[in-house]
Amino acid sequence: MTHASALEDPVRAAAPRHRPAKSPRPAGPKGRGRRENLAGYLFMSPWIAGFLLLTAGPMAASLYFAFTDYNLFDAPRWIGLDNFSEMFGDPRWRHSVRVTLWYVVVGTPVKLLAALGVALLLAQKRRGQAFYRAAFYAPSLIGASVSVAIVWKAIFSDDAIVDRTQQLFGIGAGGWTGDPELIIYSLVALTVWQFGAPMVIFLAGLKQVPRELYEAADVDGAGKARQFWSITLPMISPVLFFNVLLETIHSFQIFSSAYIVGGGAGGNACGPADGTMVYTCYLYVQGFENSRMGLASAMAWMLLVAVALVTAVLFWSQKRWVHYEEGAR
Amino acid sequence: MQQGGNVGRRTVLKAAGGSLAVAGLGATATACGGGSGSGDGTVTIRYSWWGAEDRAERINKTIALFEKKYPKIKVKTDFQPYTDFWKKFNTQASGGNPPDVFQNAIGFLRKYDAKNVLLDLSRQVEAKNLSMDGFRAGLEKFGEIDGKLLGVPVGSNSMALVIDKPVYTRAGVKPEQGWTWDDFDEAMAKIRDRTGRAGDSGMYGVMYLYDLYLRQSGKAFFTEDGLGFTEADLTAWWTKAEKGVEAGLFADAKKVAQIKPKAALSAELAGSEFTWDNFTVRYTSEGRSEYGLAPIPTTDGKRTGQYLGSLMLSGYKRTEHPEEVARFIDFMVHDPEVARIMGYDRGVPTTQAQWDAYRPTDPVNRAIAAYEESLVESGVLEQITPHPNGADICEAAFLRIAEEMALGSRSVEEAVRQFFTESKTALAG
Repeated sequence: MTHASALEDPVRAAAPRHRPAKSPRPAGPKGRGRRENLAGYLFMSPWIAGFLLLTAGPMAASLYFAFTDYNLFDAPRWIGLDNFSEMFGDPRWRHSVRVTLWYVVVGTPVKLLAALGVALLLAQKRRGQAFYRAAFYAPSLIGASVSVAIVWKAIFSDDAIVDRTQQLFGIGAGGWTGDPELIIYSLVALTVWQFGAPMVIFLAGLKQVPRELYEAADVDGAGKARQFWSITLPMISPVLFFNVLLETIHSFQIFSSAYIVGGGAGGNACGPADGTMVYTCYLYVQGFENSRMGLASAMAWMLLVAVALVTAVLFWSQKRWVHYEEGAR
Repeated sequence: MQQGGNVGRRTVLKAAGGSLAVAGLGATATACGGGSGSGDGTVTIRYSWWGAEDRAERINKTIALFEKKYPKIKVKTDFQPYTDFWKKFNTQASGGNPPDVFQNAIGFLRKYDAKNVLLDLSRQVEAKNLSMDGFRAGLEKFGEIDGKLLGVPVGSNSMALVIDKPVYTRAGVKPEQGWTWDDFDEAMAKIRDRTGRAGDSGMYGVMYLYDLYLRQSGKAFFTEDGLGFTEADLTAWWTKAEKGVEAGLFADAKKVAQIKPKAALSAELAGSEFTWDNFTVRYTSEGRSEYGLAPIPTTDGKRTGQYLGSLMLSGYKRTEHPEEVARFIDFMVHDPEVARIMGYDRGVPTTQAQWDAYRPTDPVNRAIAAYEESLVESGVLEQITPHPNGADICEAAFLRIAEEMALGSRSVEEAVRQFFTESKTALAG
């Protein structure tokens, strides 16, 4: 039932029965535009239904829950801003914010630097570049999977490959996954390893830079470094902006790797001494382990606001450093 | 896909139609939840539990037995590991679609009673669909809360010190009933000095052990609605623990964290671990050594504070088939053949008939039986104290914050404060 009505509604809305006689629509056989509209909405209907039922509806509900005490079983009880004041007063919540910010601020730039560095190498004309491109891109295809996170945990444990390598250099830090301070570095390493997606975008950006700019710079006697700073970087700054934006938002949402490398099933949810207790992990713990869906909803909306603010700041800042070539599009 | 690699429009449409039909079927099955009966009077009930593959195999055998005896009742099963079990259960229960019958434990009775989830089985007892006769050691009272029968004990167990036998032998430590905490400390030092291994895996974070320790001096971890100890009590307990970690008496918390979900004892990081006695079964299959059971240390040389813990079966309050649920539980706790299939997997059987039916032949299960019998003989078993709504969250917080203290990321003072803050929230909810 719900499915059918959701399917019809937009159609009716789009094609009202009493259309004015003089349609502003340009030429074309009578009724064709309407029929095309209908077909268009019909084809879109699975998506529209999905959006209304699975995204918009739950979002509206979670906005309401954010102001209630809701344990999944009893009816939600309106408590105004109590969830938010509890959140700010909770040291574990503040800890999760710190861990997440740290992860975003350290992980994102390192990942983008790696992506840009490799893209610069791959942009050169060499034999076998296609193979290298595929090889460097591969980790980002599988990196987000649960199995890779499990392997990652094994790699960074006591006496595993990372620990043994450290020992070769006389560093006795032990495995990272058992250390509340070090474990977050293994997550950073995991995200940096998946630099493939931004790398491909950088690569596309680098290919767009007109060759004659470099030729002119060569003639003027500019060195490689100078060319990079004065030509490459400004020319790819829109792409850089896009990558920074995407990766920052992505980093804020880190969950599965933190949950799995940090222990996940069997024991504490997110790392020894909450070492990988990123924001979404704590949200999950409050929602599904402590059955505090109201508080978890409030946390989710807080995250949305934070990400929106960061995005706004990035957009505001682009005036200062992103260079859009006149007439480029 | 098709020969020639040409996938026609019709094929796609057919495939789409087919998958829609399948999705539709799936939706119907979920909506019914397997809960309703069919035309010929056959009734399907859903049964969920937490555990691992080996438990699932045993349980499936007992269900086959049950369905043979009650051909009109079909049982659909589902299981997860412990922590995931409750997440799934909460989600299902809040949607009004939990299993009809499910595994439960003492710490959850009040919680889910307060949420109106648990079926009061006492009416089924009156209707003679479920017998509460023939239970051992007063276990029939365990699932009773405020005059309602909310769970039926299916296996009972007790806290014990599970030891790595060769390690204890090498260290020359022989724990006996009535040994004291001073003896225990001495033993830990001996094990460390003579075997180079930590004596214990991390006793300071085990809520059920601290409960025993408190009970030895007339307190308890929980009261009806709160914590039964003070910040000063816990500060003393964790201060001693911190020193023990520094001195290497207790296993390095970093190493323990890494080998999860394996246990520190079976991973040979420690010589012993305080846990439930039926865990020796798991450690024996997980580790390479031989594992035994030692008594809980005492404060006064007598009281261990122990009581029987228990796994239970509970029903869903709004199940459409309370009678079938009751018959199912009745069969699982009284049938002798079920006992022979289950062994001590969920603890020792709770009814005398099942206890008599299963005589363990292997040393591990025989040791559990002997341990349980020794507790009855020495007369240390006492009444269980309450587990209020929120007890499970307190238990998890206790373990986590103790670990943080042992890892050095919190001072004892901070850890105690954090625990009291979190439990206050949990117990108020």
